Amino acid sequence: MNRKKINFKNYGIFVVFIVLVIILMILSPNAFAKPRNLINVVKQASINGVLACGMMFVIIAGGIDLSAGSVVALSGVVAAYLAQMQGIPIILPILGALGTGALIGLINGFGAAYAELPPFIITLATMSIVRGAALILSGGSPVFGLQEQFEGIAGISIANVIPILVLYFLLIAVFSGFILNKTVFGRHVYAIGGNSITAKVSGINVKSMLLRVYIICGVFSGIAGLLIASRTMQGSPTVGVGYEMDAIAAVVIGGVSMSGGSGKWYGTIIGALLLALISNGLDILGVSSNFQQIIKGIIIAVAVYLDLRGKKTSA
Amino acid sequence: MKKRIIVGLFLAVSLMMTACGGASDSKTTTAAETKAEAEATTAAGKEASTEKQEVSDVVKDAKAEQFSGAKNEEKKSMALFMSHMTNEFVKTLSSSVQKEAEELGYTGDSFKIYDGKNDVATQVSQIEQAVTLGVDGIIIEPVSTDGIVKAVKDAEKAGVKVVILNQRISDQNAADTFVGADNESTGAALMKKVMEDLDGKGNIVELLGPMGSDGQVGRSKGFDSVLAGYPDVKVIASDSADWDTAKALTLTENWLTSSDIQAVVAQNDGMAVGAAQAVKEAGLTDKIKVYGVDATSDGLNAIVNGGMTGTVSQGTEDQGKISADLCSNLIYGQSVPKEVIATNVVYTKENVNEILKK
Repeated sequence: MNRKKINFKNYGIFVVFIVLVIILMILSPNAFAKPRNLINVVKQASINGVLACGMMFVIIAGGIDLSAGSVVALSGVVAAYLAQMQGIPIILPILGALGTGALIGLINGFGAAYAELPPFIITLATMSIVRGAALILSGGSPVFGLQEQFEGIAGISIANVIPILVLYFLLIAVFSGFILNKTVFGRHVYAIGGNSITAKVSGINVKSMLLRVYIICGVFSGIAGLLIASRTMQGSPTVGVGYEMDAIAAVVIGGVSMSGGSGKWYGTIIGALLLALISNGLDILGVSSNFQQIIKGIIIAVAVYLDLRGKKTSA
Repeated sequence: MKKRIIVGLFLAVSLMMTACGGASDSKTTTAAETKAEAEATTAAGKEASTEKQEVSDVVKDAKAEQFSGAKNEEKKSMALFMSHMTNEFVKTLSSSVQKEAEELGYTGDSFKIYDGKNDVATQVSQIEQAVTLGVDGIIIEPVSTDGIVKAVKDAEKAGVKVVILNQRISDQNAADTFVGADNESTGAALMKKVMEDLDGKGNIVELLGPMGSDGQVGRSKGFDSVLAGYPDVKVIASDSADWDTAKALTLTENWLTSSDIQAVVAQNDGMAVGAAQAVKEAGLTDKIKVYGVDATSDGLNAIVNGGMTGTVSQGTEDQGKISADLCSNLIYGQSVPKEVIATNVVYTKENVNEILKK
C-alpha cells in the first residue's frame, strides 16, 4: 500500500500528463481525440523536443544554454542559403546547419569551460551575437525560394501517416537516453553536473567534457533549425525567439534539476509532449493565446511542484 | 598564462565570426538593393487617387527648386528612424526612403538611418541625438504611438520638420504630416476579395497580429466591417500568431484537425506563408484558400507557387518615397498635405506578375 503511494508520487509528471490527456479527450472527443490529432501533438512537440534533448545534456552537466533559440535561427538561415542554390546536393544545407550549431556550441563550451565564464553569461552573449549574425546573413528578411528537395527533410510523412519530424524526435530522444544511461560519457555528464570537483579528482577531464556537452546542445539546436527551415521552406532570422525557454521548461517539467547532476531522459520527452499538448488542446478548444500563456505557466509550476514533492517523499 | 591564451583564442574565434558575418552582409545588402531597385516604382500606380497626383506635382516643383538652390545654400540633412530592421516590410520601407532621399540629393552624411530595435526608449534617445546634431528634417516610423510624442514636440520646437511614417502617433498634430496606409481599409480590401472567392459562404479562420497592435486592431476592424454583410460566412477561429511564420503553421495545423475550413485569412504574409505550409502538408491546398497582407516577396512567391491565393499591398515603396519627398519639401519651406494614404492593391495569381516584373 505504502509502496504504491510512493510510486505514484514518483511519477507526478506522468500523472499530470495522463490526466490532461483524459480531460482534453472528454472536452473535445471529436477533434482532440482523433488519432490524426494525437500524432499532430507529437509532431508539434518534435522541434522543442529536439532542442530540449540538447538542453538536457547541458543542464545535467550543471550549465545552461540561452543561445539555443538564436542557433535555431542562424542554422536555419545558413541551411536556407545553401538550399537556395539550385543543383547543390541536399547534404550541404544539412551539414551547414549542423556545422553552424557545432561551431556555436564550441564557442559556448570554450567560454564556459576554458575561459571559465558563467554559462549563463557566455550563452547570453552568444544568444545576442548569433541572432545578430542571422539577421546580417539574411539581410533581415526570410531566405526563401529553396530547392524542392529541401522540403523532404522535415515536411513529409511516412506512409502519409507518421510525420518524419516525429521520427527525428524519437531517434534523438532514444539516442540521448542511450548516451546518458549506457555510456561512460553519459555517466561523466552526471558526475560533472553533480559535483565537478569530485569528478575532477576522480580523473574526469571536466573541461573537455563540458566542451563536448555544449557542442551536443549546439548540434541539436542546429538540427532543430534545419527542421524548421525545411518545414516552413524558408530561413527566417527572427524565428526561435524564446525557444530556449520552452526547451528549458520541457527539461525542468521533466524533472531534471536546474542545479545539475540528476534527471531522466524520458522526463524531458514527457515535458516536451506536455507543452505541445497544452497548446494543441487549448487551440482546439478555442482558448485565446493570451489565456494559454497563463494556463501554461500554472501547469509548469504545478507539474514541477508535484515532481519535487514526489522526490522528497521517496527520498 | 595558459588561460589567457585560451581566452585570446576564444575572442579570435568570435571575431572571425563577426568578420564572416560582415562579409556576407555587404553581399546581401547589394542583393537587397537590386531587388529594391527592381521593385521600386511599383507603387500603387494603377488607382492613384487625386490627392496623390497633387502630391506628386508638389514633389516635382520641390525637386526643381531644390536643385537650383542647392549649390549656394548649405547642405540640408535628413534622418530616418525605423522601429526595427528585422523583417522584409521595414527593410523595403527604409530602402525606398533612402533611395528617394539620395535622388533628392541627401547623400553621404546628410542622410542617416537609425534602428530603434523595437524599443521606445532607444528610439527617443536616437531622435534627441539627431536633433542635437542639427538635422533639418526627420522621418519617424514609430516604435510606440504614445512614447515618442514628446520627442516629436521637442524636435519641432528645435525647428526640425517631422514626418510620421506608417503608423500614426497618438497626437498626430505634433508632427507636420503623416504618410502611411490605412489598416482598416486594407483589412476590408482583403476580406472583400476573400468573400468574392468564397461566393459569400463558408467557414474561415483568422490569423491575427499581436493583439492590440495598430496593424492588428485596424485590419481586424476592416475584416469585421466586411464580414457583417455576409451572414453565411462563419469565422470559426481567430487568434494571434504574432506575425510569426512558425507560430502560424502550428496554429493552422491545430485548426485543420478540428474543423472544416474554406479559407485562412492572415493579417500579414509571414503568417500566411506558414498557414499555406500547414495546408499543403495536410494535402488540402486545392480546398483551402490562404490570404495575407503586405505583398512581401515571400508572399508573392507563394502566390506564384499556388500556396497562397492573394495578398494586399499597402504600397510600401510608395509610402517610403512619398515620405522622403514630403520631408524634403518641408525642409525647403513648402506646405504639404496633413496626411497621405497609400492605395491598397490586391494581388492574386492573375496580376502577381505586374508587381514581380517591376
